[in-house]
Amino acid sequence: MIVVAIDIGGTFTDLIGFDAEQNRFVEAKSLTTPSQLTRGIIDCIRKSGLDAGAIDELIHGSTIAINTLIERKGARTGLIVTRGTRDVYIIGRGNRPEAYNLLFHKHRPLVDRHLSREAQERLLASGDVHEKLQAASIEDACEKLKAAGVEAVAVSFLHSYANPEHERQAGAIVRAALPGTYVSLSHEILREYREFERTSTTVVNAYIGPKVGGYVKSLKQDLGAVGFDGDLAIMRSNGGVMTPEVATDRPVAMMESGPVGGIIASARVGQALGFANVISFDMGGTTAKASLIRDGEPTMAPGYYVGGYASGHPVMLPMIDVVEVGAGGGSIAWIDEIGALKVGPQSAGADPGPICYRGGGTEPTITDANVVLGRLDPDNFLGGQMKLDSEGAARGINEKIAAPLKMGLTAAAQAILDISVSTMSLAVREVSVKKGFDPRDFVLVAAGGAGPLHIAAVARELHVPKVIVPLFPSHFSALGMLLADERHDFIRTFYGDLTGIDFAALVTTHAEMVREATSGLRHKDSAEQQIHLDLRYVGQEFTLQVPVTLEQLKSADRQGIRQAFDALYEHRYAHHSPDEPVEMVNIRLAVIGKRPRLQFPSLTACASAKPVRERQVYLSDPAKPVACPVYDRPSLGAGARIAGPALVQEHGTTTVLFEHDACEVAPSGELVITIGDAA
Amino acid sequence: MSKPLDPVTLEVIRNALPAIANEMAADLQRTSYNMMIYEVRDYCTALLNPKGELISQNVGGVSHFVADLGVIIVDGMKRYGAKGFKPGDVIITNHQAVAGQHLNNIVIYTPYFHQDELLMFSMVRAHWIDVGGTSTGFGAGATVADPWLEGLQLDQLKIYREGELDETLYRVIKDNIRFPESSLGDLKSQMAACRLAGRRVDELFNKYGRDTILQAIDIIFDETERKCRNVVEKLPDGVYEAEAAMDNDGVKRDEPVPIHAKITVSGSDMTIDLSKCSPERKAGINSRTYAGARVAYKALTGPLEPVNEGSFRALKVVIPEGNIMMARFPAPMAGWSTIVPTVVDTIVRALAPAMPDRVPAGHHGLLGGTVVFFGVHPKTMRRFVIQSIEGGGWGGRPYEDGEPASVSVCQGDVRNGPIESIEMKCPVLIEERALRRDSGGAGKYRGGIGLDVRVRNLVEGQWNFEQTRRSMCPPWGLWGGQAGDYNEYLLRQPGENDFAIAYGNRRTVPVNSEAIVRTGGGGGWGDPLERDAQAVHADVIAELVSREAARDEYGVVIHPDLSLDAPATARLRDEMRGGRPS
Repeated sequence: MIVVAIDIGGTFTDLIGFDAEQNRFVEAKSLTTPSQLTRGIIDCIRKSGLDAGAIDELIHGSTIAINTLIERKGARTGLIVTRGTRDVYIIGRGNRPEAYNLLFHKHRPLVDRHLSREAQERLLASGDVHEKLQAASIEDACEKLKAAGVEAVAVSFLHSYANPEHERQAGAIVRAALPGTYVSLSHEILREYREFERTSTTVVNAYIGPKVGGYVKSLKQDLGAVGFDGDLAIMRSNGGVMTPEVATDRPVAMMESGPVGGIIASARVGQALGFANVISFDMGGTTAKASLIRDGEPTMAPGYYVGGYASGHPVMLPMIDVVEVGAGGGSIAWIDEIGALKVGPQSAGADPGPICYRGGGTEPTITDANVVLGRLDPDNFLGGQMKLDSEGAARGINEKIAAPLKMGLTAAAQAILDISVSTMSLAVREVSVKKGFDPRDFVLVAAGGAGPLHIAAVARELHVPKVIVPLFPSHFSALGMLLADERHDFIRTFYGDLTGIDFAALVTTHAEMVREATSGLRHKDSAEQQIHLDLRYVGQEFTLQVPVTLEQLKSADRQGIRQAFDALYEHRYAHHSPDEPVEMVNIRLAVIGKRPRLQFPSLTACASAKPVRERQVYLSDPAKPVACPVYDRPSLGAGARIAGPALVQEHGTTTVLFEHDACEVAPSGELVITIGDAA
Repeated sequence: MSKPLDPVTLEVIRNALPAIANEMAADLQRTSYNMMIYEVRDYCTALLNPKGELISQNVGGVSHFVADLGVIIVDGMKRYGAKGFKPGDVIITNHQAVAGQHLNNIVIYTPYFHQDELLMFSMVRAHWIDVGGTSTGFGAGATVADPWLEGLQLDQLKIYREGELDETLYRVIKDNIRFPESSLGDLKSQMAACRLAGRRVDELFNKYGRDTILQAIDIIFDETERKCRNVVEKLPDGVYEAEAAMDNDGVKRDEPVPIHAKITVSGSDMTIDLSKCSPERKAGINSRTYAGARVAYKALTGPLEPVNEGSFRALKVVIPEGNIMMARFPAPMAGWSTIVPTVVDTIVRALAPAMPDRVPAGHHGLLGGTVVFFGVHPKTMRRFVIQSIEGGGWGGRPYEDGEPASVSVCQGDVRNGPIESIEMKCPVLIEERALRRDSGGAGKYRGGIGLDVRVRNLVEGQWNFEQTRRSMCPPWGLWGGQAGDYNEYLLRQPGENDFAIAYGNRRTVPVNSEAIVRTGGGGGWGDPLERDAQAVHADVIAELVSREAARDEYGVVIHPDLSLDAPATARLRDEMRGGRPS
């Protein structure tokens, strides 16, 4: 069995494959070709040496969905809404999160106002029909939209979460009147109350639908043309994968799939090593991302804003909760107008890149600081393929940072790293401390080209005792895709006092959701369910997602559910109110189709580790370098132990161990680092 | 101060202090029981030192709370003395003699001690949904004559002494407010946010030590001040003035309320003098606040930077005692913030000649169209109250049109109520929430569009139609732009054909009435005749501007089939330019 994952990033398309019979990994990289994305994929397969016809399953992650939105290259989209609500999508919530900004922007609508049409219909919050849908009003809307040449239509009626019948009828009329047009109905995309957020999510789906749907189709064809006849799966924001058919209907589900692979991989690596609670820490060129995994499960956020909270487009679909901060290898160090040292969020990116890349960069970056401190070896970067300009890095830091602050060169470089480590730590705190979790109870998993360089410092800052540097840290996202399960998330608004909820009706709703969810599943037989109820004290707005079992629903276990809510509330906010009435707002269902687990090869045991050389590196004291042994990671066998200070080099990254840190190579190849008692 | 602080420690502390205030805010918002907190964000969270200096404050909530908690600490220190505070104390206050706002704004604060030394206070001000009297909802209206009618007054009282609840005080509060489960839930959330801050501050002190933190705070104040001075320094020295007016104060209906701002820029110093604003009124639109001046100064000097004591050290605010914004107890203050957005906008307008590339035309200038309808559901006998704040148009900008339907300059992340959420909880139908054609002022860059929200009540109930209007001084244009449309309440009762203007608070309306909550539009920026005819055409197609307004205000001719007549437009624009006095 051969499973392959292909991840399209901004610069490179990454392939990682696993051949179970031969027990080996295959890797390949090619340049991303934005105009013809599928060509990069076919190129990658060719480079990997794999026979496309022999691939059983191919998992694909792509940024096409989010790029289509951010670059605003989606379809000409029309919107049909309930009478009186034409402007709900333009108005949004009327808020200005940048409170003092006189020149703020709200989201920029994806539908022109004249392409937003009203239908004669009205439902009540109960789902009862207040005014029947008048088909003529939909036909009339279709005529106008047809004349305007729309390629996609979103339909979003008030209270359709409670009763989708009007939307279904309208959808049928639109499909008949505008054949070939991409149609999204709000209740099919998101069956949750709050009309602006649901409409926005549906509009985003319609807007990107034709392009992403076309892409998925041509990908299937092009893969077929080179002989691939295995299963194709598409990575989605919730950490699972979906079939191409589901992706074509709900492309919005793949919007934030970019960082997800690495988080799945962190969860699996942690579990395999016996750590169910881990924090995934991924640091690349422009940002660092943190995500919390509990009991082997990534934490989910109920929605997100594409383009940021202040001016972005709400997409209220579950995604893996990730906190991103502007601290990556390319983040620029600078001094502000009052003389304070800052790092990021501006990044030199890949072009021009850090000064030491010799790509014309002139601003000192985090990577340059690492070169100056000797933590990155200028002669052994990317396996020596790229010689770094350490003199340029030193000159840049001297001129732009050290001289104005009247510091020594290495002290300035260290200050740049210290500030960025404090920024990165804030991201880790945000996913842990803020949610009521103590980071010291978690293990950090470091990925990305820059993650292993800084992870020991971040761990120290947060008093985290253990750190894992996995295999393939710079291809970690693709590795995670190999391991992802199928997953569909569904939500239904189901409102009422917990004491009065009709559990029989709730069980029926649940069964409907299960049917809907499993119909799109390839691995039906192995499917597992997770059920959550969104609960709150009466009078509150924000809910907590409380996990429940189907048995609890069937037996109407109000008391058990109530207790679970109070306990969760106590954990999250350090107080709770056992006498206050509780109400239910939504039921959530995740259906997970388990893919077969891959058994990765183990390393041969070889307890002795021999450094390949020794280098002077500034670690804890910027005034005095220490003699630091350098190890070549591929040469390390299972069970090998290394005591810090040390550097462990591999193709895409370097792991830094400080004095007192201790590292052991796991049988499966990961570096397991115990942070020294200096912490 | 001994040795200079290293830049890394300084930067870490600089980031940590606002992070604590923001974490308090997030915690409060998620656990609160009333929409004034979780949607309207009518709260602030902050750390202050015992001198009453602001160390950090949350960002994103209601802007007019900026840096206004200091007076409460100064007063508290006077009452209790530095030795009068003990660990475990929780103080509650809303008294207008010092706080100067409506009584709904309840301040809770706790002292923070490090090694037995009182070093900080963590504070949360939040709008309770009811504090008795006539305070239900957004607060009592302008017509409430004094604080005793308004609600319960709490004057720097310890509700917890060294961790011990004062049961008597608790009972007095509980028995004198209408929704005790909501408000006492909020009390709990406010205390939890203060305690959270205490823990975070403690971590910081334990890590860096007392001297380092206090030294860092002083440096941060100085640096913040310097940043503001850098902005003001670039403005030409001089005296800048502007004026505006509210139609009336809500009690005396035939007398406008004048607003006037005089700004003096001298080097890096700025003085904002509001002396010529109306004297104290016999209506509840008085306050004791620097908010008007401070929000404007903040917006102009560093809108995206965190707030601390240094943010306003280079600003001098002049408001004499007895002024509408420096009213003396017991002047009524139930609608304390009503005029503040217009005050802010007037200051901003005055400075337009000094910063022509950054100052937009006037915005709707009011605290939103407030949707307040309440009653008792006849079937369930449960009380209900709808509260939503609807945004209006913002002024055209020196390079683009104004934003539509957004909350005022005094409100940040304040969100309207979703129609589905309102209808789920309350017996009404929101028939319409729509942009109102031609409500944005004409200009080279058009003013943003205002709203109509039409609400049909399915059971009998009471409406609050109390709101100061700006019909005599609608949102102004700049540099030749036209004014935007103004706000209004309209009502049509069953059997009536037309909507009529509606006034008054607690007005009972029969089943199946329809009320329209109307918000103003923004003013236009620049000469409407200079607006790109294609942009006017697009506005007509989008039904934001009528064909008549396109012709009369912009000189753009659009045929009934919505095609643009370029030659006729050129002729008409020439004619209109020619007809102007030169």
